[in-house]
Amino acid sequence: MKTTGNKTYVEDIDRSVYDIKDKVDAAYQVAQGLTPEIVREISEAKNDPEWMREFRLKSLEIYNRLSLPNWGPSLEGLNMDNIVTYIRPNTAMRGNWKEVPDDIKNTFERLGIPEAERKSLAGVGAQYDSEVVYHNVREEVRRQGVIYTDMESALHDPVYGPMVKEHFMKLVPPEDHKFVALHGAVWSGGSFVYVPEGVQVEIPLQSYFRLNAPGAGQFEHTLIIVEKGASLHFIEGCSAPKYNVANLHAGCVELYVAENARLRYSTIENWSKNMYNLNTKRAVVEKGGTIEWVSGSFGSHVSYLYPMSILKGENSRMEFTGITFAGNGQSLDTGAKVVHAAPHTYSNINTKSISKDGGNCTYRSSVTVLPNANDCKSSVSCESLMLDDRSRSDTIPAMDIQNDNVDIGHEAKIGRISDEAIFYLMSRGISEDDAKAMIVTGFAEPIAKELPVEYAVEMNNLIKLEMEGSIG
Amino acid sequence: MNLSFKQINALPFLTWNRLGVNQTSLAAELPEIKSYNGTPLNEKLPEGVTVSSQPLPGNMPETGMGAEAAAFVEANRSCGVSVRVPAGVKAAEPIVLTYRLDSKNPAVVDVNTVIAEENSEVTVVMSYASDEATAGFHGGCTRLIAGKNATIHLVQVQLLNDSCLHFDDVGAIAEENGIIDIMQAELGGSQAFAGCRAKLEGRCSSLNLETIYFGDRKRSIDINYVAEHIGKKTASEIHVNGALLDESRKTFRGTIDFVRGAKQAVGHESEYNLMFSPKVRNRTVPLILCAEEDVEGQHAASSGKIDDTKLFYLMSRGLDELAAKKLIIEAQFQPATDKIPVESLQNAISEYVKERLNTIEPVS
Repeated sequence: MKTTGNKTYVEDIDRSVYDIKDKVDAAYQVAQGLTPEIVREISEAKNDPEWMREFRLKSLEIYNRLSLPNWGPSLEGLNMDNIVTYIRPNTAMRGNWKEVPDDIKNTFERLGIPEAERKSLAGVGAQYDSEVVYHNVREEVRRQGVIYTDMESALHDPVYGPMVKEHFMKLVPPEDHKFVALHGAVWSGGSFVYVPEGVQVEIPLQSYFRLNAPGAGQFEHTLIIVEKGASLHFIEGCSAPKYNVANLHAGCVELYVAENARLRYSTIENWSKNMYNLNTKRAVVEKGGTIEWVSGSFGSHVSYLYPMSILKGENSRMEFTGITFAGNGQSLDTGAKVVHAAPHTYSNINTKSISKDGGNCTYRSSVTVLPNANDCKSSVSCESLMLDDRSRSDTIPAMDIQNDNVDIGHEAKIGRISDEAIFYLMSRGISEDDAKAMIVTGFAEPIAKELPVEYAVEMNNLIKLEMEGSIG
Repeated sequence: MNLSFKQINALPFLTWNRLGVNQTSLAAELPEIKSYNGTPLNEKLPEGVTVSSQPLPGNMPETGMGAEAAAFVEANRSCGVSVRVPAGVKAAEPIVLTYRLDSKNPAVVDVNTVIAEENSEVTVVMSYASDEATAGFHGGCTRLIAGKNATIHLVQVQLLNDSCLHFDDVGAIAEENGIIDIMQAELGGSQAFAGCRAKLEGRCSSLNLETIYFGDRKRSIDINYVAEHIGKKTASEIHVNGALLDESRKTFRGTIDFVRGAKQAVGHESEYNLMFSPKVRNRTVPLILCAEEDVEGQHAASSGKIDDTKLFYLMSRGLDELAAKKLIIEAQFQPATDKIPVESLQNAISEYVKERLNTIEPVS
């Protein structure tokens, strides 16, 4: 078999569509850095209720008290003194794309959001820098009693305001870590979703977050409550054009899944390579409920992302499916956390990662089984593919089991495309290049099939292979 | 005297602090450390091998527990051997060191070095037991240097009573085609710590590390293994089997580290754990670090109760539940205990485990 020749070149993700920058036309923005004055200013500009202003200031104190993590990729390039934490686009929130200013609308058009809305979504929220510029939900979904709006509207709503207050950062308290404390202090934008008891939302809702301004931070808050027996598929997309200065994304997602409810939360994260993506996502699942995470991480310079599921009720379940693709200059530290806090709970984590061209992938996870979580099952499988020897791939799982009546399994594998597999396919009449393309696509396939169709197509485009000679 | 380690058994890559697995610390009051009273070394030594009770000077390989533990044993050495196997010598008999903690020897700190020169082979067996009454201390450190085509077998068996504190630390280097073959049995003690770091420097060098642990009553076991693949075609096999009963606790950290350039290296790691009580705490952190494309790394872990179908099968053949459980645990330990070249020690392990298992209460 031919083992010499040019190395197969696995193309970087084509970012051109994401990299188109708009002129920054902010209606209002705060100064760089982080002080109580800036936090008060944001609170005032957003017309916060009193409790929220206090909450922000308390979070800032916590932020100042907590230290940076002593593990994970380097955060050296991130200087909070240079980050603009709040930047309001020059428009109010609209319920009709025609009313959204042209440059912003064009950005979302290029990303295919309005088209996807027409075709396959039940509702869309679009955030541009710090504020939501568009929010709309189909009439039939609205009639089912589903609330899908931006966080600010929910916060000021007489009915949903108290619900926000009851749930806001209760699942992810600001004490959790430094960047979630930062989020508590300067959060802005994001979506609020409420699905009433028994309601099945048949087609997905989608929020898209676009950070356009250089040196800015985006801190959207997503709060989803799925009531008893209800179900929802929520999609989150994010992107930003590339700048030479560090941008920061420190969003927070809190998901409440009630008894026998089901929530699928899909994310395609495609931030530009100057982004520090320090995002926190958490779900609590009551009796018989299910949370499903589908997570694709392709962008950002540095990511720390580990969606956590707390299986609080008996017979609750979680499934996590993730893929991470790290290229040149990227250090993507991703994975999942699960806490089995009740009997008969079930978790399944399945991840794949691909490192190439000097990229670093880290898979990090924890599975915790509390003493009362009798008869629970957990299985973890992570596979990593190395495409060259300039890249890195580390696997750091942890298990903490405090009960004997459990069935816990863990598997990890790392390697490259095996010569045997290529040889086998070639012996069946497939060309060497096709064989390799087939193997890499096959590696990612179990994840791709969990994605919504348009994203699966996007992902396959993202991992486009250009075959030229052999790998190795 | 007081023992205080701020950081031992540290993970090579840190993870969330709140999991409490990044490293561990140790503070304890120790009995006075004096020269070992007695002769731990077996009389019959293999031909051609030099065994001395003097420590070997010089740069020694890093160990699994880390610098603090290594510095402590160097400063407080009470016994130990330095073994040198000249080129071409294949020792037929094992070198056996038997330590017993009792009122005469409440504290044992042994520092050992085994150097196997080109084309040589040697087996060293160390065992640590105690009387019932002594709240003793054992701290050990063993360095292994396997030269070209050389093989070192190290067997370490720990059967101390429930009031003894124990740690055993290993640092190894293997040159071209060198083989480091270790069996560790951590079966007793109040707290037991074990560490091993093996640097596979030479092309085709390998590490085989087979460990069994047994936790009962309030024992805590803390293990940290690191296999560092530096040379091409290096291989590591780390396989750990254990059982946890009563209120015992265990943390196992195992790292396979593929350094860039370790082409065609292969590393396999597994941990199988059986749990017999709802009050145990079982933590496992298996790392694979990889900076080389052309490698194969794998890890598997499973944890749970004894498989019902296995139990059912054995019981259908007339065994009662307790006997069936004993049989399953013994079978789990067998591949490791088979590596012990001293029959009396094999029997001692078997007896120890049997006796301890009598405390398992049959499920009603």
